[in-house]
Amino acid sequence: MKRIWLLGLIFTLVIGVLAVGQVKTLYWNLATEPPTLDPNIATDTTSIQVIQALFLGLTDFDDLTMEVVPELATHWEASEDGLTWTFYMRDDVIWTDGTPVTAHQVVYSVKRTLDPATGSSYAYVLWVIEGAQAFNNDEGGTADGVGVKALDDYTVEFTLTQPAGYFPSIAGMWICRPLPHTVVEEYGDAWVNVENIVTNGAYELGEWIHEDHLLLYKSATYYDLAKVNIDQIYCYMIEEASTAMTLYEAGDLDSTAPPLEDMDRVKADPVLSEELHIAPDLCTYYYGFNNEKAPFDNPLVRKAFASAIDRQSLVDYVLKGGQSPAQTFTCPGIFGHVDGVAEGIGYPYDPETAQAFLAEAGYPNGEGFPEVTLMHNTSEGHSKIAQFIGQSFMDTLNVQVNIVNQEWKVYLATCREDAPQIYRMGWCADYPDANNWVNEVFNSKSGSNYANYINPTYDAIVERAARETDPEVRLALYQIAETLMCDIDAGIVPIYFYTIVNLTKPYVVRTFAPLGGEHWEQWDILPH
Amino acid sequence: MLQFVIRRILWAIPIVLVVSSITFMLMHSVPGGPFDAEKALPQAIIDNLNAKYHLDDPLWKQYVDYMWGFIRFDLGPSISYRSRTVNDILAQQWPVTALLGLASFGVAICLGIPLGVISAIKQNSLIDYGSMWISMLGLSIPNMAMGPLLIWIFALNLKWFPVATWGSPIHVVLPAITLGTAFMAMFARITRASMLQVVREEYIQTARAKGVREIWVMLKHTLRNALIPVMTIAGPAFAGMMTGSMIVERIFAIPGIGKYYVTSVGNRDYPVIMATTLVFALAVVVMNMLVDISYGILDPRIRYN
Repeated sequence: MKRIWLLGLIFTLVIGVLAVGQVKTLYWNLATEPPTLDPNIATDTTSIQVIQALFLGLTDFDDLTMEVVPELATHWEASEDGLTWTFYMRDDVIWTDGTPVTAHQVVYSVKRTLDPATGSSYAYVLWVIEGAQAFNNDEGGTADGVGVKALDDYTVEFTLTQPAGYFPSIAGMWICRPLPHTVVEEYGDAWVNVENIVTNGAYELGEWIHEDHLLLYKSATYYDLAKVNIDQIYCYMIEEASTAMTLYEAGDLDSTAPPLEDMDRVKADPVLSEELHIAPDLCTYYYGFNNEKAPFDNPLVRKAFASAIDRQSLVDYVLKGGQSPAQTFTCPGIFGHVDGVAEGIGYPYDPETAQAFLAEAGYPNGEGFPEVTLMHNTSEGHSKIAQFIGQSFMDTLNVQVNIVNQEWKVYLATCREDAPQIYRMGWCADYPDANNWVNEVFNSKSGSNYANYINPTYDAIVERAARETDPEVRLALYQIAETLMCDIDAGIVPIYFYTIVNLTKPYVVRTFAPLGGEHWEQWDILPH
Repeated sequence: MLQFVIRRILWAIPIVLVVSSITFMLMHSVPGGPFDAEKALPQAIIDNLNAKYHLDDPLWKQYVDYMWGFIRFDLGPSISYRSRTVNDILAQQWPVTALLGLASFGVAICLGIPLGVISAIKQNSLIDYGSMWISMLGLSIPNMAMGPLLIWIFALNLKWFPVATWGSPIHVVLPAITLGTAFMAMFARITRASMLQVVREEYIQTARAKGVREIWVMLKHTLRNALIPVMTIAGPAFAGMMTGSMIVERIFAIPGIGKYYVTSVGNRDYPVIMATTLVFALAVVVMNMLVDISYGILDPRIRYN
């Protein structure tokens, strides 16, 4: 059967070539080997990028509005109590082997993600589904006890443990994407190999030469084939940014992320500057204070340090990528984002206020203040930022700051076990809802709360916001949560919101996907 | 000689055991685990992953299981590249590195030894100074500078070679020169020094007194004996080149095994750390054995016992 479809694909490609005159190929850099193409176990942006092209989700995100939009599901509805979500699927989507994509395959995928034997890192995101945690944690639960079922071939129903307004975002995540269960069962872990894989997305896997390149062909079986303009995507796996930049300038790559050291040249170059795109990314860079470690157990000290960071100068002179100064944690583009700069939440750079806070804390002009450890994971970029901010602390507050760096995993272990007084960390969205931020990171029960930020009121607010279904109420709750964490308690100090800095050839008509997973099927390549 | 080879192969067993146990202890004593990430996972998820990869077994059992697999050429799954086994990674990436290593070794030997010979023959001449200056330059410029320099000259300006990537013989040239240059310089300097030492031996004077032509004195009598120290360093150097260079492979976007030596440690990908270390250890053992065999060929007075 697969051969028939392969012949069909070749026929389509030949016809396409004859009709248009040339195959439209996008030369892309994945920047690394995708660790896996199995949607149930993927965790990284590279894998998710390719999975996005190969597998369809129940829902997807609009690149511009960041709203959840239909993909496999044409529409969905929640019960009045917000506990039952029903997704109605298209009936015209087929796999590359010609079999239909059905609700049963969504159920299979969700249960496979939750199966402890799969070892899915992201399974915890699905714990909101009834019976999911008990099954995943091997606490007496079974696959049959998980609250997901196919009502018919094209209708799937989820039962949740609590109302979750953000659930349509989760239903579209890669961990829930329907899988060709017969293929997965037949080949086991090797089902994603090029000779076995069966997909349902706009592209299908043509070649996967490990560490070298991956070739995707437009899928002849894709349900919306007429709208796909680019015939094939040739994905390099070039890790060295300067090599990718050289290939881009030599015309061998259609898009790349310019290295930081080339940014001044790119901005000054009349051609490259026209090809430079700076778009918002859904990530926040922040410094955490260990709220339990003296003298940072004193909110006044934390406020003093938060007020001593000149974010705009950091962006202009160190980062150079058009990042936005951040005074709140949840970044723009996420439901529940609060504009701290506009609304006066958080602490802008104000040396006098910083000194006043420190004096009020009992350290006028920094006198008697102990040496501070500012730690980051080893990286040239983080080092530059730490030196800039550390110097800013010393100049503004007259304190001694020791900048220390550790190898990434050692650093994570240090943060987890006993975070230093000030530590660097970042957070990127898994789905565009503030629950993924203020609740999943800084709830006192969260494993990522290295700051030991503990405020029962804050916990109660973010947990209530997770359960609440009224968007207006949720927004109000997230505003209170951000005010508590970034202003009243100053538990952490957000520094900047990331941007995607990218060079793209002028003949590529593209969008930018802030959540990762570029929508290649919506792009085009103009004659050039 | 057969006895010698068998003895050396048997010696490899304790070496592999010592290297593997030290590596195993070191990698498990370093803080951090394979599932630590910026987004901290709930303990229940980490427990599932530990169970899947048998990391919840006692350390001694993990070690024994690993070595049992190693004996059967089953190097286990990669924890970071979850759809691949370590056998897959070695089978797909190592041949690329080996080809690059072979080409680099060719560059190093074919240029380094003649350069050293010419320098020795023309000692204290302009040719000698020029050759040694070139070799000093080769030693002094690190790969991370040499690679981009060659790309700039030969790929971007002269357009003789591709900028990067892999796939045809022409893609091998610039990375092979980059990786081979430092070794070439080292071979040139050692060949020169060794030649100058041998040339003072009495048997060379005897050869000259008997009227042997100078070129034969140099190539047949001097070079052959001078090669012993060169071979001593050529063995481990070849092992190094055959097991990859992360920097050169990264600069030229070569799909080799080199990066795994570094990234596996950063990722705490235990099976890959073990495999890459043991492959390197075995390569050094084999190369040293070949070097020892070559001594006897170069100088028949050396016996294998």
